[in-house]
Amino acid sequence: MSDFWTVTGFTFRNKTKGKAFIVTTLILVIILSLVINLPYIISLFKGDGGADVKNVGYVSVQSESIESKVTPTLVGAWLKEYYASQPEDSRKLAMVAIEGSGDAAADEATLKKAIADGSIDGYLQLKPNATTGFYDAIYNSEKMMDNSATEELRTGLQIVKSNAAGLTDEQKKLLYTPVEVSALQINAGSGEGSGRTATQQGVNMGLVYAMLFLLFMTIMATGTVIASEVTTEKSSRIMEVLITSVSPLNSMFGKIFGMFLVGLLQIAIYIGVVIINVNIPTNTEALGNLNINLSDVSYDLLIVSLLFYLTGFFLYATLYAAVGSIVSRTEDLGQAVMPLTFLSLAGFYLGMFNLTNPDSMLVKVTSFIPFLSPYVMVVRTGVGSVEYWEIGVSLLIMLVSIYLLGWLSAKIYRTGVLMYGKRPTIKELRKAMKAYKF
Amino acid sequence: MKPLVVDRVVKQYGDKTAVNGISLEVDRGEIYGLLGANGAGKTTTMRMVLGLIFPDEGQILYDGKPYAKEQLQRIGYLPEERGLYPKVKVSEQLVYLARLKGMTASAADKSLKNWLERFNVPEYYDKRVEELSKGNQQKIQFIATIIHSPQLLILDEAFSGLDPVNVELLKSTVKELRDNGSTILFSTHRMEHVEELCRNITILHRSNEQVKGSLKEIKGRFPRERVRLTAESEITGLEELPGVLGVKLLEQGGYEIRIADEASGRGILHHAMSQSEISRFEIMEPTLNEIFIKTVGESHE
Repeated sequence: MSDFWTVTGFTFRNKTKGKAFIVTTLILVIILSLVINLPYIISLFKGDGGADVKNVGYVSVQSESIESKVTPTLVGAWLKEYYASQPEDSRKLAMVAIEGSGDAAADEATLKKAIADGSIDGYLQLKPNATTGFYDAIYNSEKMMDNSATEELRTGLQIVKSNAAGLTDEQKKLLYTPVEVSALQINAGSGEGSGRTATQQGVNMGLVYAMLFLLFMTIMATGTVIASEVTTEKSSRIMEVLITSVSPLNSMFGKIFGMFLVGLLQIAIYIGVVIINVNIPTNTEALGNLNINLSDVSYDLLIVSLLFYLTGFFLYATLYAAVGSIVSRTEDLGQAVMPLTFLSLAGFYLGMFNLTNPDSMLVKVTSFIPFLSPYVMVVRTGVGSVEYWEIGVSLLIMLVSIYLLGWLSAKIYRTGVLMYGKRPTIKELRKAMKAYKF
Repeated sequence: MKPLVVDRVVKQYGDKTAVNGISLEVDRGEIYGLLGANGAGKTTTMRMVLGLIFPDEGQILYDGKPYAKEQLQRIGYLPEERGLYPKVKVSEQLVYLARLKGMTASAADKSLKNWLERFNVPEYYDKRVEELSKGNQQKIQFIATIIHSPQLLILDEAFSGLDPVNVELLKSTVKELRDNGSTILFSTHRMEHVEELCRNITILHRSNEQVKGSLKEIKGRFPRERVRLTAESEITGLEELPGVLGVKLLEQGGYEIRIADEASGRGILHHAMSQSEISRFEIMEPTLNEIFIKTVGESHE
C-alpha cells in the first residue's frame, strides 16, 4: 500500500511541476476570467445608455395612403408617441419627423441625405397593402441584418395598428397583457409530489450540461496523459526497473490515482477562479440579471453526478493505462486509444442529444451499459425521471465493471510492459499473459 | 543454504523453447557469470530469477524459499537497456526508486549523496537525466540499482558503453559489493571482465547450457594450444617444427604459435634456444574468449 502512495505522490509532483500542466492551467484560467468579465467589459465600451437609441426618420407628408384617416404620417406620429412613452433606459428607437414635399423621389433623397449627415440611422417607408388593409413597412438603413431595429419596429407597428382600429384603452390592455404559462416537471412513477419548477429545471439542465462536459474532458485529457505516461515509461525502459520494485497493480493504480488528483487540483483551481471572478462587484450585478439561483440545484443530482463522474473516470482510466502498456512507441498511441475515445464520445453525444428527450427507450437501456451510463444516467437523473433502484443497479454494474476491467487491465499492463516491438494482437497478448505470473 | 538456486528451469514461448533446463547456484559473496550469444536465453533466465516470468518447469529458490513479493526489495536489477525518466531530476527519481524498494526518503537521500560522492559526480544531484552524457546516465542507473544495498544483484551488461576509467570505477564497486557478501548474477559480452570477476560461469547456447563450472576447471578442460615466445633476436624455421599449426609475429615483439598439443612445446623451446636468448616462453591457458568462440561458434556449423 505504501508503494501505491509513493507512485501516486511521484506522479502528482511530476505532473504538477511540468510546464504543460502550468501552461494549460494558466491559459484556461485566463479564458475563464475573460468570459466571466465579458459582460462588464462590453458594457465599458458601450458608453452612456442614451447612445444606443437609433433615430428612425419618416416623412411627415406622404402621398400614398389607404384612406384619408390613417395616413402614413399619422402612423409615424403614433409610433413616435409610442416610443417616447417607453421608459428611457429600455428605449431602443426614436422617430424623427422630416418635412416632406409630397414628391416620393424628392423625399427619399432628403431622407438619404439625413442618414449621410448622421441625424438619423435609417428611415421608414410605408406602402399600403390592399389585402391586410394596413401598410407594409420597409426599414432602410446602411447596416446589414439590423434585426433589433426591425423587430422593434414590428412590435411598435403592431401596437399602433390598434389605434387605427379605434380600440378603447381597456380593450388594448386586455389584448396586450401577456398570459402567464409556467411548466412544472413531475415524476409520475414514484407518485412524489415534488415537481421541478422551470427555474429548477433550468439549473438542473445547466448542471447536467456541465457534468457531461466535465466528464468528457477529464476522460479525454487525463486518459490520454495516463496512456502516454505508461508508454513513455515503457519506451524509456524504466519500466523494467519499476516492475522489479513495485507490483504492477500498485504501479498502475498509483499512476491513475495520481493523475486523478492532478485533474482534481485543476478543477479546483478553475472553480476557485470562477468563484473569485463572480464575486467581483462589477460582475455580481451583470450576472445577477441572468436569474440563476444556485440554491435550486437538487442534491440528488449533485450526488449522482459525482458518483458517476468518479466511477466513469476510473473505468476509462484503467483501460487507457492498459492500452498505453501494449504500445511501445508514443507515435502509435493516438491510433491505439481511438476506440476508447470513440466510446467516450458516443456516451457524451447520447447524453447531449437526449437532454430534451430523457425518457426514451434508448436512454433507459444505455443508462445501464457501463461505458455509457456515466453520461446517460446523469441526464436521466437531472432532466428525466428515474427510480432510486435504477441508479443503484446502474452504479453496481459500474463498480463490477471497474473491478473486472481493472483486473483485466492490470493483467494486460503486466504483460504489455515487457513486450516490445510491434503492437501485439489479442491472440499474442493472451499467449503472453499465461507466461507471466501475477 | 545458498542465496540463489536455479534448478533445471524451462521456459517456452509458444513452440519455441527460450530456456531449456538451466541450473545454477550462486553463493554469498560470489559473482556468477552468465554468458551466451545474443538470443541465447540470458535475459529470459534473468527475468525468471527476478520473478517477472514464471518458469514452466523447475524451480528457483532464494535462501531455500520460493519466490515471494518481499524478495522484490532485496533485489537490485540493472537491465540491459538502460532507462530513467529523462525529464526528472536525478535526486527525485533515485529517491523514488529507492522508496519503492522500501527505503525511507531520508535514508535514500543520504545513500544517494554517498554514492554520487563515491563516483565523483556530486553535482548531478540536481541535474535532469537528459542533461547528462550517456556514460554518466549509466553511472546514475548503476547507483539506482545498488542504492538500497540489495543482497541479490542482477547485472545485465553492467559495463557497456563506459570509458575505461569508469569501467574500473564500477568494477571496483561490484567487487566491493561482492566482498560485503552480495550475491551477484552477472552477464556480459566482455570476457576479460568475466575472467577478472567470476568464480563460476555458465555459457548458454541456443537455450541450452553448453559449458558450466568454475572458470579454472573449464580452462583446464580445454587444451592449451598457444605458445607465447619472446627472444632477443629473430628466430627462423618455427613453421617447419612438428606440431606447429601457425606462427604469428606480434606487433609488440615476439611470436604467438598455435600448436596441436602441449607436447609440441618442448620442440619449440629447444629450437628457439638454439638460435637466440629466450626472455619469455609460455604455454598459454586458453582465454575465455577462445573458449566462448569455440563452444558457441563450433555448434553454429
